[in-house]
Amino acid sequence: MSRDQDDIRALDACFEAARAAPLEPSPELLARVLADADAEYARTAMPPARVQPLPRAGRLRQAIRTLGGWPAMGGLAAATVAGIWIGLSPPEGVQAYLSQPDAAYIVDLPPGVGFDLTEGTL
Amino acid sequence: MPLDAMSDISDDALLVLFANGDRLAARALTLRLTPRVLNHAYRMLGNAAEAEDVAQEAMLRLWKIAPDWRQGEALVTTWLYRVVANLCTDRLRQARPVTLEATAEPVDPAQGPVARLQGADQEKALQQALARLPDRQRQAIVLRHMDDLGNPQIAEIMGLSVEAVESLLARGKRALSADLIDRREELGFADE
Repeated sequence: MSRDQDDIRALDACFEAARAAPLEPSPELLARVLADADAEYARTAMPPARVQPLPRAGRLRQAIRTLGGWPAMGGLAAATVAGIWIGLSPPEGVQAYLSQPDAAYIVDLPPGVGFDLTEGTL
Repeated sequence: MPLDAMSDISDDALLVLFANGDRLAARALTLRLTPRVLNHAYRMLGNAAEAEDVAQEAMLRLWKIAPDWRQGEALVTTWLYRVVANLCTDRLRQARPVTLEATAEPVDPAQGPVARLQGADQEKALQQALARLPDRQRQAIVLRHMDDLGNPQIAEIMGLSVEAVESLLARGKRALSADLIDRREELGFADE
């Protein structure tokens, strides 16, 4: 048998001897590893923090919510401001309409009288 | 699910089960992987107590990665061996002088060829020779000849090409042979 083959045989026998006598984990080590697994699972699987209930809404907030929330309130406020603006400083067309000199007529019509139009006048 | 039924389940599936709260999966992984990481660490460090610490730390890192583990992407063992290698490297750097429990043990020259060493003594001689190898050669040799991994997986663990692993293995085996050659007779391999 050649020297090289002998060396390989010796080395393989050593590997085999080492594989045949593995270091067995002690029960304490296994227990520690399992305890780590439990602790790690408990840490990552903690229930989420309790959700704080929303504070009770006040009357104003409830009214706003009833009307459709802040977007709806924005529209309402804009309409209100526009109304006040027109009231205080009416545009020309509106002014002319409001200050018409002619008063309204009260017409007291006897029964049987109507505003019948003769056919063909319109 | 009983523990026995878990023997057919892959490592990464067990890891996902553990992440979902299956304690039996943790137990199955512990029993399956702890001996492997312990022995790998022992062969790398030559010290059983340190190997236990490394094994526990490596397994703890496995538990920590479990919720983020992406099934099918990598082998759990590949990832684990890489962690063990890093932990061992850190320890070897910290305590470079004599890390082997057995290295100090002298060989009795009076024994001669008559008292040929066998079994446990071969294992001890190998461990002493391994300790004298450069870290990377030792890692490659242990992964190949102790942990019985294929060269592609070793390459992945060590971040090398398969060719580089083959080269490391060849050099490592030559160095081991040279180291053991003087003890040929004690080891029971005198020229026949």
